[in-house]
Amino acid sequence: MTDTQMDVDQFRAEARAWITSNLERRPAGADAEARGVRTDEEIVAARALQRRLFDAGFAGITYPAEYGGRGLTAAHERAFREESADFVMPDFGAVGGVTVGPIGRSLLEHGSPEFLQWHIPRILSGETIWCQFYSEPEAGSDLAGIRTRATRDGDQWLLNGSKIWSTGAFHANWAMCLARTDWDAPKHRGLTWFAVPTNAPGLTIRPITQINGTAEFCEEFLDEVVVTDADIIGEVNHGWSVTQTMLVYERGAGESGVSLMEPRELAPDLVELARRGGRTDDPAIRQAIARAHVADYAQFHLGARIAARLRSASTPDPAVAAYSKLARGVYTPLRARAAIEIGGSDALTWPEGDDAGQRPAIDYLNGRIVSIAAGSNEMQRNGIGERVLGLPREPSFDSSIPFNEVLRKSRGWNGRVG
Amino acid sequence: MDTDASADQRELLDVSRRFMENSCPLRAVRDGVWRDGSFAASYRRQGAELGWFSMFVPESLGGGSISGNGALDAALIAYHRGRGLQPGSFVGTNVVAAALAAAGSDELRAAVLPALISGEASASWAATSSGGGGRVENGVHATSRADGSFELHGKKAAVQDIDPSTWLLVTCGTADGPMQSLVPADAAGVSVTPLASLDLTRRFAEVAFDGVHVPATAVVGEPGTCGALIERQRAIACTLIAAEMVGAMDQDFETTVQYAKDRIAFGRPIGSFQGLKHQLADTSLALEMSKAIAVAAARTVGTDGDEHGPQAASMAKAFVSEAGIDLVQTCFQVYGGIGYTWEHDQHLFLRRITMDAGLFGDGAWHREHLCQLAGL
Ligand SMILES: Cc1cc2nc3c(=O)[nH]c(=O)nc-3n(C[C@H](O)[C@H](O)[C@H](O)COP(=O)(O)OP(=O)(O)OC[C@H]3O[C@@H](n4cnc5c(N)ncnc54)[C@H](O)[C@@H]3O)c2cc1C
Repeated sequence: MTDTQMDVDQFRAEARAWITSNLERRPAGADAEARGVRTDEEIVAARALQRRLFDAGFAGITYPAEYGGRGLTAAHERAFREESADFVMPDFGAVGGVTVGPIGRSLLEHGSPEFLQWHIPRILSGETIWCQFYSEPEAGSDLAGIRTRATRDGDQWLLNGSKIWSTGAFHANWAMCLARTDWDAPKHRGLTWFAVPTNAPGLTIRPITQINGTAEFCEEFLDEVVVTDADIIGEVNHGWSVTQTMLVYERGAGESGVSLMEPRELAPDLVELARRGGRTDDPAIRQAIARAHVADYAQFHLGARIAARLRSASTPDPAVAAYSKLARGVYTPLRARAAIEIGGSDALTWPEGDDAGQRPAIDYLNGRIVSIAAGSNEMQRNGIGERVLGLPREPSFDSSIPFNEVLRKSRGWNGRVG
Repeated sequence: MDTDASADQRELLDVSRRFMENSCPLRAVRDGVWRDGSFAASYRRQGAELGWFSMFVPESLGGGSISGNGALDAALIAYHRGRGLQPGSFVGTNVVAAALAAAGSDELRAAVLPALISGEASASWAATSSGGGGRVENGVHATSRADGSFELHGKKAAVQDIDPSTWLLVTCGTADGPMQSLVPADAAGVSVTPLASLDLTRRFAEVAFDGVHVPATAVVGEPGTCGALIERQRAIACTLIAAEMVGAMDQDFETTVQYAKDRIAFGRPIGSFQGLKHQLADTSLALEMSKAIAVAAARTVGTDGDEHGPQAASMAKAFVSEAGIDLVQTCFQVYGGIGYTWEHDQHLFLRRITMDAGLFGDGAWHREHLCQLAGL
């Protein structure tokens, strides 16, 4: 029986056997999320553990077998996640999810066979970590408006410009970098994606301190960074189609971001907060707890519904994926606010060094990450409004003229559209 | 609504959908054809032929469903009923059929179930009372007699679509806890007073019980300890009503989005203004979540042995009730002045959805109920 035919139960049994005899149980109360950025030592440990998963055939379960994956389905992956839920798994922090999620998936769809042969096994074995060089100081939501420049120089390319908000870039070996290769074409038609090694001469990476006090995202300066044709992902000037793929995964098309299990227990964290403050009899608190729980439950089922819709489409549409993204972007900060209300002073203060105790405050500070990063709520609303509901687009005065001209005109912006 | 519906389910739905479109299109709903007793009876019998009232009754008692999950099949029908703002006691008849199948005496089952399944008679759950919210035992009190019979006193409100031949499942309080009985609407001591209502697509009445005699054989469930049965009935009612709401929401939203594409202001379709576009996108998200949660509730409620049914149904009712009212309010705004006219259909949706949101417990009631179910 080949791997592709292997049924989920059989795979589950195989996974369980391997996990229980090879992995350590997760210590109770471990809360990596509250800790934030992973240290270098933690990354070294994560790489070693990832390597063991890879060697045992449990890395990249849904990735093609020819590139070192297992070539199985999302159901197999889910089974593995369920079986391994109580065990210590490789933990690279946010950058790990980015590597095998939006980046890995986009590479698979757009990278050349040689490119994939080289890169994917390294990703799956934990040897390389990737980060995203998309946003720039002057282009975030308007990703097609980036200004980092790639110019031909003999048989290579020179990259110049700056990137910002790149999560975990200091842990990464490679970056997936968007650059402009044609300034005379309209903005969406002059873009190209490159794989850039983060140790390339001319590339400077600087962490930026966030509101939660950690420094996970970074800014980069690219000064005559050399890359070659072999580093191109997709085709020159056709980068926007890669972007479309990337956005589907970035918005949580796969199972990422959606909780693994249907949330059946009434918001245990919020109930615990209410208990600690002795406020479980307060009708307003009870309403807040139940409201958050109902939203968790609705979001879980929305995720499954949207994932099914995306699976059944021949080309998954980022605008459909926008539903799950917008739901998270709307409900995550609301839930974080509810926790602060329910916890009162217990959520606003905590014993020094108490990871669990600071969780509501950290969640509150981090609550809007998902409303902004990977496409703001407003961008998701634009996508749903225009591409799913088919509402007419806003008049645009920058999408059909040469990008050079867009820049020139924006400097002389006179308040008139069109 | 259900992206995973099977071919058999889809076929059943298609036939039901065509029946509704032909026999009771929105224009007919608006004209109130369903107020006519003979129309109502024939509509109900035709629905019954399509299996509308058999889905919560096991095959051994003459019922059955297409997929084996009766709640899911019924919710899919309910969705299409909601789209067309269909009349009649679909939710009530199914709740009562489920209760009788689960806990009715043999006499009661033999006398009533075949008539409900075939559409000869309808049933309604007399659950709501003034100020009772989702506390279905409020409003009527039963006193027991030595021979095992009971006597009912009190009033229920907003009881749906009562004809003289309608069976009323009356949930009430006793000194020892809740009890239920099945009472014909024309029984001695029952008086039905039609009420005016916000909803223009169904009939609602106040029902007074003045010493109504209930023989022991008409008692449904064990008096005092039928809480789990009532919880099950509430779960079915909330699941089906949420599904009907989702259908009505979907229909109202589709026509509103079309209007936003067609209506021109300032030289462009109003749907191109981000102020409206974003409201519609948020509404679309709430609608997708409503579909997802309604299907999840139906699946859970209809899965034998799954004890999470009451919670799932309360979550669906809590979420959809609020999403529904938000949706009709947003659609109203998008229409501008035309949406405030009697001629326009928007207010029919506004009225029905708002009514449904308040029946069998509104969002706040179900959130509190969820806390209680969790032992909080
Ligand atoms: C924690 C975190 C991690 C991140 N990680 C990465 C990463 O790894 N790699 C990377 O490349 N980037 C990353 N980002 C950047 C992120 O993708 C951008 O912040 C995001 O796309 C928004 O861009 P911006 O910050 O430039 O805001 P802007 O685009 O300037 O937006 C500001 C406001 O204007 C609104 N707006 C903009 N355009 C429109 C429009 N057309 N209609 C309506 N409203 C509009 C936005 O919704 C927002 O409210 C990260 C961001 C955060 C917060």
